[in-house]
Amino acid sequence: MSAIIHESGLRTLIDGWLASGKLVAAPVEVSGRVLYQRLKSSGEAILESRERPANSIKQFLFPRHQALFRYRLNGKQVELVDSADDTREQIIVAARPCDAASLPVLDHIFNCDCKDAGFDEARQRTTVIALACNSHDEACFCTSVGLGPSSEAGADALLVDLGDSEFEVRVLTDKGRKLFEGRTEPGTREAPALEGPPRKFDAGAVRQFLANGFDNPLWGEESVGCLGCGVCTYTCPVCHCFDMVDEGNAAGGERVRNWDSCQFQMFTQHASGHNPRATQSQRQRQRIYHKFSIYPERFGALLCTGCGNCARNCPAGLGVLRLLEKIDSRVRQQHV
Amino acid sequence: MCNNLYKPDLMEIIQVQRQTPDVKSVRVRFRDPARARAFSFRVGQFGIFSVFGAGESTFNICSSSNWKDYIEFCFRRTGRVTEALWRLERGDTIGFRGPYGNGYPVEAWEGKNLIFIGGGIAMPPIRCAVWYVLENREKYGNVTIVYGARKVADLTFASELDEWSRHARVRVIRTVDPGGETPDWKGEVGLIPHIVERSQISAANSVALVIGPPIMIKYTMPVLDRIGLRDEDIYTSLENRMKCGVGKCGRCNAGHVYVCTDGPVFTMQQLRSIPNDF
Repeated sequence: MSAIIHESGLRTLIDGWLASGKLVAAPVEVSGRVLYQRLKSSGEAILESRERPANSIKQFLFPRHQALFRYRLNGKQVELVDSADDTREQIIVAARPCDAASLPVLDHIFNCDCKDAGFDEARQRTTVIALACNSHDEACFCTSVGLGPSSEAGADALLVDLGDSEFEVRVLTDKGRKLFEGRTEPGTREAPALEGPPRKFDAGAVRQFLANGFDNPLWGEESVGCLGCGVCTYTCPVCHCFDMVDEGNAAGGERVRNWDSCQFQMFTQHASGHNPRATQSQRQRQRIYHKFSIYPERFGALLCTGCGNCARNCPAGLGVLRLLEKIDSRVRQQHV
Repeated sequence: MCNNLYKPDLMEIIQVQRQTPDVKSVRVRFRDPARARAFSFRVGQFGIFSVFGAGESTFNICSSSNWKDYIEFCFRRTGRVTEALWRLERGDTIGFRGPYGNGYPVEAWEGKNLIFIGGGIAMPPIRCAVWYVLENREKYGNVTIVYGARKVADLTFASELDEWSRHARVRVIRTVDPGGETPDWKGEVGLIPHIVERSQISAANSVALVIGPPIMIKYTMPVLDRIGLRDEDIYTSLENRMKCGVGKCGRCNAGHVYVCTDGPVFTMQQLRSIPNDF
């Protein structure tokens, strides 16, 4: 027996959550493209896994602009005030498995040894309802990074589309149980076996290449088209680099954290002018190394969920997949 | 937010000293006496200092860890935050986060002769170690300090160099780049690698701490190799750009090494095992 919920029942649930003051986010159509956004009503939510949202769910836990604290200037004295936290419960509905999987990955960064309070608190008040994925495009490669269309990583519940506006509800955590308890009906319909994208490269081969590939000419050759715009990092579910700046006036202001990107020249430039990553190829190399060597070495997992956003959003037709396929084929041809 | 990682302690500036035309050293103490009592650090560690309204910047704590009433840092006027710092004076308030990083392995250096080599603004991170060693004089062997700057006016902590040179078993070699000398200059004239080579420094039972611009380090390394220092006995402190200081913001890494949490102090042997990304 499985637990079933009808789409209309799910939308009623969402409206109930909204009415009780919870924040609810889901894929929404915005000017012809699909983006994860906070909902005003359940009618906006796209509860089928057609087009992959062009952004990711990280913004709901790691906002692109976040106040860290406020400062008040008073002559020679300064007063620091904690920023008010948003304590509202938050539910993300119909997250793609490649987005839900970003949360345990980000935990290693923000919730390891010293906890990042902002992320940690958002994580605790957030419940993720993933939607198993039954559409993939040529940019998708979740199956090459150890995930798949019905991966449960990072999700509190997983919905599987049964057709006829019905979903199987697989409850995965207590948080998920709380949302669906008493809201589903028993059913016997079998969820279809979902097929993910074909495997496109071998992550092990990529790591093997990276072990000695730092000075390989490939980086220069393959990064020529990169404009350095950073869209790959902003739309990536797991890219998490940030900048900290002060915003205010003569009376006071806030120290804020903003998303940053390893693809920008100023990211690593020293005050002296020296820049360890002065060229775009060095910055592309850093991104691949971070995802497939540095992070795995530190935390034993990949810093990539295979969502393909970097390729889909790239104005120059790049993205990590293209590079990884090149690396994979070089390893196969022993042309390392 | 509770235990906000990024919320600094408030510190009061108690002294500002102009070291060179564009370098100042600043002495600060915690506004909160309890925090001051609880604070300790290792020489070689760094702090993230901030001017509210301008932002944060990373500097080595250049005072000795034995000094309990205040800490010091040193900066060159070169960007947004340091321009704002330049305008501050006694009594003003700045922010401080830290201490961060590993610091110098001063225990492992006990019983050794120490060679300190610094260029330009690299004196402050050497200065904290020199004072620490002089305050624990019986634990360390001979101390040789080679310090160079472009011109005489660019030498930081010049009066302390004089003071150190009067200590027993301390040799101070000062140099300026050719053309940077003044008529009354008594020190050497020449670039650091040449001066180190010329100074007949013994490598016996020695460790070296070499800090300076990448180009200085690059050309000093072969000289240290020739006089017989092994890579595992040569230390440096990297200065990669940082924001968070706690291994999260993602920019200070060189390969798998995060300078903020794994460093900033590394041996040359360690640096040879990581990609040239610093």
